[in-house]
Amino acid sequence: MSRDPRFDELLDGEALGAERERLRRAHELLVQAGPPPELPPGLADARQLDGSPRLPRRRLQRRATLLLAAALAVLGVFFAGYAVGHHGGAGGAAGLALKGTAATPHAHATLEVLPETAGNVPMKLTVAGLPKLPAHTYYDVYLVRKGEYYLSCGTFVTAAGGRPLTVTLNAPYRLQHGDWWVITRHAPSTRGRGPVVLRPA
Amino acid sequence: MELALDVPRLRAVPSEDAAAPPSLDTPDGDLLVRVGQRDRAAFELLYRRYVRSVFGLALRRLGDRHRAEDATQEAFTAIWRAASTYRPDRGPAAGWLYAVARNAVVDRFRAARPGADGELPELVSAEAGPAEQAEQSYVSWRVHRALEELQPREREVVELAYWSGMSQSEVAEQLGLPLGTVKTRTRTGLARLASLLEGELA
Repeated sequence: MSRDPRFDELLDGEALGAERERLRRAHELLVQAGPPPELPPGLADARQLDGSPRLPRRRLQRRATLLLAAALAVLGVFFAGYAVGHHGGAGGAAGLALKGTAATPHAHATLEVLPETAGNVPMKLTVAGLPKLPAHTYYDVYLVRKGEYYLSCGTFVTAAGGRPLTVTLNAPYRLQHGDWWVITRHAPSTRGRGPVVLRPA
Repeated sequence: MELALDVPRLRAVPSEDAAAPPSLDTPDGDLLVRVGQRDRAAFELLYRRYVRSVFGLALRRLGDRHRAEDATQEAFTAIWRAASTYRPDRGPAAGWLYAVARNAVVDRFRAARPGADGELPELVSAEAGPAEQAEQSYVSWRVHRALEELQPREREVVELAYWSGMSQSEVAEQLGLPLGTVKTRTRTGLARLASLLEGELA
């Protein structure tokens, strides 16, 4: 949680007496509870089961994931080959679209992975709609590999108003098929990684 | 775990209530009773209402998203299997669901660490004692469940106001809404949460 909103700021003195105390209690519970977690895709899909006769089975999910990964790998090889051939061996750039999570519904970004140079993988992140953060809080670009947070690729902050911003990052490691990225918000009070604010669209 | 949900056992069977499917207004306790009668639609509704609470509980206890995801699936499998033992006169459904989900999470912890006693720490408040951890865990459970009851537009401004780090003015700018509308929705959301949580967490 970046900060606790002040109760008086939220209500502007609109509620009085017992009603105000009821709302204050709800406010305190919200602060105490902290943010709900961002659901992983497997569980989020199950939330959209309206009318479906089945819940997801992990074995089927894993099989589908493997098939999807294989298909993406084939497509990746095809497009990489096409890009290399098209650019005369200079290599092409690959882009990943990111969308905001529940906490940042209007945020969006593209992460452009540029051709590797001297063992480094430069990346260009263009992001918009992310709010300005309080002092000592920042956004963190995380590489996700095999479903696990793997490494931070860099951090950044934004100006007020969520104006578009371009950030240059540099990953000192080789990328693998299936790698993807999320952006988290990290506050000094956060233990471990903060909540995800942007994820693949 | 290879198979979290035994699909053939989840197949719905006809019941007397088959003509009246559960609605968004159906109380949790009624849904749970219907799940005990193998009402598939009731189970899916209950799942949507509680999945974030269950996943949050598992994540706080296990500290790993993959294990928490598995534990969440196991918790709902346990809920499906045990729902017929729920008795509305013995307490609210939220407490019953919390107990079943927590047991599933503890089982997951034990499976990963043979010999562990199951009293795994609360990862987000390791400095607190067991009683405080339990209370914190249940508060998060109930509040996250209550958030699911808000209108989406109210939930959106409440979540932004509390957890995005933005001021009310910034939320208004972010959503393209007048500041007064944001304040009204925040207040309406808080009032709804107060009603939903009244009595249980006093």
